[in-house]
Amino acid sequence: MEHPYLFLTSVFGLFGLEEWAASHPHVTYMWLAMLILIIFGWLAGKSVSLVPETAQNVFEVLISGMEEFVVSITGEEGRKSYPLLITIFLFVLVGNLMGLVPSLYPPTASVNTTMALALIAVGWSHVVGVWHHGFKYIKHFLGPVPLMIPLFLPIELIAHMARVLSLTFRLFGNMMGHELVVLILLMLGGMFLAPLPVMAMGVFVALVQAFVFFLLSTMYIAGAIEEAH
Amino acid sequence: MKKETGKTIRELGYFASLGMSVALSIFIGLGLGLWLDKKFDTNPVLMFVGLIIGIIAGFSNIVRAGKKGKNY
Repeated sequence: MEHPYLFLTSVFGLFGLEEWAASHPHVTYMWLAMLILIIFGWLAGKSVSLVPETAQNVFEVLISGMEEFVVSITGEEGRKSYPLLITIFLFVLVGNLMGLVPSLYPPTASVNTTMALALIAVGWSHVVGVWHHGFKYIKHFLGPVPLMIPLFLPIELIAHMARVLSLTFRLFGNMMGHELVVLILLMLGGMFLAPLPVMAMGVFVALVQAFVFFLLSTMYIAGAIEEAH
Repeated sequence: MKKETGKTIRELGYFASLGMSVALSIFIGLGLGLWLDKKFDTNPVLMFVGLIIGIIAGFSNIVRAGKKGKNY
């Protein structure tokens, strides 16, 4: 389903890139999400003081609250992975919320973006596993009995591939579904504000999906850190 | 955030993602089997092997979750 109007596509049209921008809205809007995050980060870090005020207060509560939450799941070793996790959370949140603004396209409604994020999160969990256990990390894939290795190895590999796909499709499906429902309702009854209740629920969906993505990546890292069964 | 709430949310996330991983495991096994079949021209032996491995992988997720759920 085509988006009726995309703001960034017309902006890129000014530079003669309209065709490319129209076929890659997830790329251009991902840049926008990155830009928003960078500007917010710059605003928050511009005047850091010991006694926080207004904006710094909000960011400190968000960042440190999430940090404690991550550490309570993964243990103290997981603190090193926290910057990646909070970046994923904030990026997905901003990306999801962009779907609520008319003329913006949520980058997370494209399977390319979510697949990339899921590959980064799951790939990093394996890096953390190798980092913590060295070569013994392979024990995570071999099961409890040495005799059963030929059976357990493919099973575990499939289970780990399913992690990537389930992260990908959960976020992609939710965001694309929301986008489609809003567009269809807009087409059918836009004059009577039909998409309004769905958009109100979209705020909730955006928050929950961002949090679930963040939570599951955290749990995969926690699973890589803990000892093999 | 209280410690008890954090734990509840964590378990909620784990068990909520269970259903999807079961379904996806089966499809990944099937897909791998089909791909290998095409590669080695052994239609349809590897498809069934892959499907069975996928089903076992999916259900081992349920068994693992059941073991985890016993702690409550």
